Amino acid sequence: MLMRRRALLAALALAGVHAAVADPMVDYTLFCMGCHGAQARGVPGKVPPLAGALSRFMRTPQGRDYVLRVPGAANSALSDAQLTAVLNWLAERDAGAGAAPVAPFTVAEVTAARRTPLASVQETRRAVISALAAGGGAAPALDY
Amino acid sequence: MRSLDRMFEQSSRTLAQRTSRRSLLGALGQLLTGAALLPLLPLARGGRAEAATAQPDVNNPQSCDYWRYCAIDGFLCACCGGSTTSCPPGTVPSPITWIGTCHNPADDRHYMVSYNDCCGKTSCGHCDCNRNEREKPTYRPSRNNDLNWCLANGDDSNYHCSVSVILGVVPPGS
Repeated sequence: MLMRRRALLAALALAGVHAAVADPMVDYTLFCMGCHGAQARGVPGKVPPLAGALSRFMRTPQGRDYVLRVPGAANSALSDAQLTAVLNWLAERDAGAGAAPVAPFTVAEVTAARRTPLASVQETRRAVISALAAGGGAAPALDY
Repeated sequence: MRSLDRMFEQSSRTLAQRTSRRSLLGALGQLLTGAALLPLLPLARGGRAEAATAQPDVNNPQSCDYWRYCAIDGFLCACCGGSTTSCPPGTVPSPITWIGTCHNPADDRHYMVSYNDCCGKTSCGHCDCNRNEREKPTYRPSRNNDLNWCLANGDDSNYHCSVSVILGVVPPGS
């Protein structure tokens, strides 16, 4: 009986978490869209695109680590669960637009990576993109 | 008639025995001073008239109280030759924006609102409105609105005014 009650509580807790991150589109609109734009295409020369780029970064461990530590993601007001949901939602949109599907982020992965700031964002970006290009397959544009 | 005389005589004698002649002067003095000071008391006479007309103007796009301006910081384009949602002639909207949520009292729902800066001319200077609800201090840069969003416009980075564009309804519970 105790086990059953604990399972029920766990299910309720999960349901609560799920409800809190149920709408990544709303979180994207409120916390990301102001800079990255309604279509997540960014602003040339100012704001990097997410559409067509995020899922490409997610192909390698270095790329996944980079995406979770860039200031816009790491310092956002989103909780780890919300950030996970928004990033996975964007990656799904990429896949829907024809990009190769990638493994979604887990909340544990996001929690572990985002607390360590990037010392040099641009340098890391270039290194990650160069490695992605060298490994074959599609890589995001070096500059935006 | 005699009883009336007696009654007044009695009351006059009682008054004369119990009070001094100077007390009349004292009482008169107090009355005059009090009457003179009465208008100086801090009564909110003007406040009452003001309160009668100072209801928040939640449906007037040229008022800072307009419901969808809840997170705005800038000059209202509705007062600058544009409208709530369109930039005045000669200006272009910024591609990056500040986004907030506002409660619409008319339907009791929360709306996501994009506050695009209109850029390309010097500051409008009319209807300055700084409500910025749910904004955080500068040390939370992702939730701080103290910047010129026109900086993303390249050559047209002069700030003129701000518009408020509805993006959608916040689903209940999110």
